[in-house]
Amino acid sequence: MLGFLIGEALRDLRRAGRVAVAAIVLTTLSLAALGGFWIVSSNVGQAAARWRDRVRIIVYLKREPPASDVDALVERVQAMPGVATVRYVSKAEALGTLKQVLGKDASVAEQLPTNPLPASIEVTLTADGATPDVARGLIAALSDLPEADEVAGGIDWIERLARGKRLLEIIGLSIGAVLALAAILTVTTATTLVLHLRRQELEIMRLVGASEVVVRLPLLLQGMLQGLVGAVMAIAVLVAVFTFGGPRLEPLVTQTLGLDRLTFLNPQTVAMLMLAGTMLGGFGGWLARGRTEP
Amino acid sequence: MIELHRVSKVFAVGPVKVPALSDVSFRVGKGEFVTLHGASGAGKTTLLRLLYRDELPTDGEIEVLGCNVPRLRVREAAALRRSISVVFQDARLLSRRTVYENVAFVLRVVGTPRREVTPRVFDALRAVGLSSRAKAYPAQLSQGEAQRAALARAIARKPLLLLADEPTGGLDASMASEVLDIIKDICAGGTTVVLATHHAALAGALRQRTLTLVGGRLVKDEG
Repeated sequence: MLGFLIGEALRDLRRAGRVAVAAIVLTTLSLAALGGFWIVSSNVGQAAARWRDRVRIIVYLKREPPASDVDALVERVQAMPGVATVRYVSKAEALGTLKQVLGKDASVAEQLPTNPLPASIEVTLTADGATPDVARGLIAALSDLPEADEVAGGIDWIERLARGKRLLEIIGLSIGAVLALAAILTVTTATTLVLHLRRQELEIMRLVGASEVVVRLPLLLQGMLQGLVGAVMAIAVLVAVFTFGGPRLEPLVTQTLGLDRLTFLNPQTVAMLMLAGTMLGGFGGWLARGRTEP
Repeated sequence: MIELHRVSKVFAVGPVKVPALSDVSFRVGKGEFVTLHGASGAGKTTLLRLLYRDELPTDGEIEVLGCNVPRLRVREAAALRRSISVVFQDARLLSRRTVYENVAFVLRVVGTPRREVTPRVFDALRAVGLSSRAKAYPAQLSQGEAQRAALARAIARKPLLLLADEPTGGLDASMASEVLDIIKDICAGGTTVVLATHHAALAGALRQRTLTLVGGRLVKDEG
C-alpha cells in the first residue's frame, strides 16, 4: 500500500511540473539563506568564544612591591570572584617584553635613564566570569586595591561581537522565515494544482470509500519530497559556495576574526536543514485542501 | 437494505431555498432491483447522493446497509461507501490510466492486497466483456465500452449496493441494452441495484419495481 501511495506521490510531482520546480527552488533559497547565515554566525561565535578566552585585565601598580609582598597581593586578587589566573609582571619583565616587541630597535629602551614601565598584574577571567557585569565588578574591585594605579581591559567589545552574532542570527532567521513562508505557499499552490489535476481521481477515491490517509498521504508525500529535494539542493549550494569561496575568504577572516579556518555546518545542522525542508514541504502539502465531506 | 423515512432536501442558493426532495419514504430489500424514474430535476440524483452520503438530508431518516447515514462520521461514511458502487451517465474513467489501471485503482485505494488485484480486475472485465480492451485508454473506447468499463470498476469491489445514475444516457439502444443486461446480471449475483433514469420507456422495459419522482415528491411506487 505504501509503495502504491509513494508511486502516486511521484506521479503527482511530475504532474505539478513547473509549479513544483518553483516550490523546490524557493525551498532551496530559503534553506540556503538560513544555512548561509548559520555558517557566518557560528564562525563569528567561535571567534567571540576564542577571544573571550584571551581577555586580560591588567592592573598597573603605583610602585613595584617588595618581593615578600608579591605572593600576598597575588593571593588577594586570586580570591576575587570571576578570576581564573593571576600573574605578576615586574618592572624588569615588562621592560624585557618591550625590548622583545621592539626587536632591532630594542636599543632605544636601553638608552632610557630609568625603567619607566610600571609593575603590573595580569588577570584572566573564568568562563563564567567573562561577562560584562562580572568584568565590571572585577575591574571596580581591582581599582580599589591600594596598590593599583590604573586598571585596563574589559570585554565590552567582545559582547558587541556577540551581539553582532545574535543580530546575524536574527537577520538569517528573518530572511529564512520569509523565504520559507514563500516556499510553503508555493508548495501549497503546487499541491492545490495537483488537487485540481487529480480531482477526478480524488472524487473516485472518495466514492469508493478510500480512507482520509490514502487520499491525503500522496499529497503530503509529494510536498515532503519537494521540501527534501529543496533541502538537498540548498546543502549542495552551500557546499559549493563554501568550497569555492571559503579559501578566498580565509585570509581576511584570519586577520579580522583571528580564526585559522572557516568551519562548515556540522552533520547535525545539515540533518536539521534536511528535516526542516521536508517538514516545510509537508506543511505546504498538508495546507492544500480539496473538497470536504458534508 | 435501504430505508428512507420522510426525507426532505432543500438546497440554499444564497437567500433562495430550492426544495429538491419533499417527504420521501420508501424501503428497498436486499437483492432488489429498483428503478427510480422521473424527469430531469425531479430529484433522482439528489436521492442517490443522499444514499451514499454525498449530501445530507435537510430532514428525515436514511438507513443504508444498517447505517443511519446522516449521523455517520466521515470515517464511517467512507466505510459504508466501500460496500456501495456508483455509476454515472459519464463513465468518469481516469483518462491517463488504461482500462485495467482504472479498475485496479479503486481496488488499490481501498487496500486490496496486490496479489488479489489482477484476478479481480480480469474477472470484472470478463463480466462486462472487456477483457480484450484492458490495455486501452478511455479515449480509445466507444461510449458503450467506456460505460462497461465503469461497470467493471463498480463490480470489481463486489458491492452490496449498486447505484446507477442514468447509466444508459447518451448510449444508443443497442449499447444501452448491453449495459442494462450487465446491470441485471450484477443484481442477479445478489447486489441490490437502484437505477435512476428519466426514460419512461426504459423504466417500463426493465419490468422492475419503479419509484416515480415528480418535483421532488415520490408519487408512485409500483411493480
